[in-house]
Amino acid sequence: MRSIWILLAALLLAGCGRSEERSGIYLQRFFGECGAVFGRSTDVGKVEGECGIITSMINKFNAENPSIPVSQNVVAWPGYPQLTAQVAARDPPDIVTMHSGVISDYAAKGLLEPVEPLLREAGIDPASFTPASLRAVTIGGRLYGLPWDTHGGLFHINLALFEQAGLMRGGKPILPTSADEFIAHARQFKARTGKPYLIQSLVGDPAYQTRNLYTYLMAHDAVIFPDADHVRLRTPEARKIMNFFRRINVEKLGTLNQDTPAAIATFMNGEGGIYPTGTWMIGQFEQEAKTAGRPLHNAYAVYPYPRLWGRDALFVSGHVWVVPKKRDRTPEQRSALARFFGFMAKHNYDWVRTGHLPAFKAILEGPRFNALPHRPEIAPLAKYGQPLPGYVQRQSAIEGLIGEEMAAAVNGQKSVDGALADAERRVNDLLGQVD
Amino acid sequence: MLCSLAGYGFARLEFPFRRTLFVLVLAGLAIPGEAVVLPRHQLFADLHLHNSYAGLILPGLVTPFGVFFMTQYFRAIPKEYDEAAMLDGASRLKIFWKVLLPLTIPAQSTLAVFTFLASWNDYWWPLISATRSDMYTLTVGLAASQMNYAQTSGLGFLMAQAVFASIPIFIVYLIFQKQIVRAMAGTAVR
Repeated sequence: MRSIWILLAALLLAGCGRSEERSGIYLQRFFGECGAVFGRSTDVGKVEGECGIITSMINKFNAENPSIPVSQNVVAWPGYPQLTAQVAARDPPDIVTMHSGVISDYAAKGLLEPVEPLLREAGIDPASFTPASLRAVTIGGRLYGLPWDTHGGLFHINLALFEQAGLMRGGKPILPTSADEFIAHARQFKARTGKPYLIQSLVGDPAYQTRNLYTYLMAHDAVIFPDADHVRLRTPEARKIMNFFRRINVEKLGTLNQDTPAAIATFMNGEGGIYPTGTWMIGQFEQEAKTAGRPLHNAYAVYPYPRLWGRDALFVSGHVWVVPKKRDRTPEQRSALARFFGFMAKHNYDWVRTGHLPAFKAILEGPRFNALPHRPEIAPLAKYGQPLPGYVQRQSAIEGLIGEEMAAAVNGQKSVDGALADAERRVNDLLGQVD
Repeated sequence: MLCSLAGYGFARLEFPFRRTLFVLVLAGLAIPGEAVVLPRHQLFADLHLHNSYAGLILPGLVTPFGVFFMTQYFRAIPKEYDEAAMLDGASRLKIFWKVLLPLTIPAQSTLAVFTFLASWNDYWWPLISATRSDMYTLTVGLAASQMNYAQTSGLGFLMAQAVFASIPIFIVYLIFQKQIVRAMAGTAVR
């Protein structure tokens, strides 16, 4: 019996203690835990991939700034349930990676610090940000983080299959210039290769569909969110775009029933012509292109979404370093954060080797970035890439709702008009509940 | 152990509002964990229990199912055991500890297996309570190892971790397979 009381007492005592005392910067990020692979590497130029590069960058910061130890907390992707729980428990980290589309959720509730003073102290001029990055962190005229990249959708292309399909000219793929031409190319591609023109991740990835819809609505200069409480989807433009997606599926010109990993595997195995996915896949596909014997060997290219309607446009997001609000932050801690901002800005080139676009004009226009594979072709996205307006909250949930309705429409379970009406109603209901 | 104490109380002791309290416990079976996670999180925050072992252990220490399960088991044990021990001068606590508790070992091992499996596989509560990596459970740690949005890099390393994470539960199964099979069969047939 005594042992039970001892156990209970031990439990209570364990609850009273904290796991560690804080010093330096307590940083929280996603991109995975790969300390076992990259250990204490500080040679940023020699590592690859998001996880490896961020790990070695933080190692390098620690090595160069022994007075500001950074302790890392790697969260399960994307980490927002944990961050929200930490904020609710009044124990947020000092600095956090955040997608630009999520900033509005936290900023609107006063949970993030505007960072202009930190940028000033770090010697970073917001005018040095690319237009897409500046738009991504600006809400109500204030800056809510240090932008670190811009990322968005691209057409990743299998050149060998394009050649077989007769869709190459002068060593470059012929991309469509209109929706009708897209369908014509897709038919030709399918007839000559027996494979789908378009690889799509339509299962478990509603964001895929929604982001495509946003992109093509932006190409029409359509106002998607006229204010913070409403979305506008019952429009001729949205109907036209949805009918285009539906046509692709009705004619079986794209893959069906694939989730993201399956779609990636399909592209890497040479089983389709175009895979529209993000900048973050460039590094991995480029690796395939360099590997002899692989289906993509010397047969990979990547381009921005072709202009099918209106103007060049792309819905983009970005990774941002944000600073959760804390009452007891000391001037020394602020200086430490400013030093960290300065370091991250200085090493932005190292990060964009992942495939993302830089957050700074100087890097975007610089020779090192443009010497990287495919970067000159995709660099314009950092200028015309467009996030949703900063006043739109719950962007992630909205992507899910619209994506579900779009899937129902392109699969023929709902009419296009019915799906758009349902999507608009559901999003407006959600936005109506936002504080 | 706490479930056994509560089960013993409900099965053997007479006290005010016993039936009402038991109904309340049963009602707990019908309430999904998600419904109580917010107030529980707030309570633990106020008590500074997040990112501590107590914060991970306390929510699973007593469950409505465990109390109900042990109550039913205690009720099935003939009261003559208690009466014989009382005649020998044993106190209530001594009867519980020396006489009845050893008789409930099959039920306790079943409950222990269920509790272990639920705790081992739990993801949601550790995700929002143990938010610091030095307090991560295996489920959260594995999820944090995912290297990119597309879930396509570092898969070999991730799978190796998953294999290692499954070894303890495999060992538990090997040791307690008789109890697990009996527990599963019992819940299915009764």
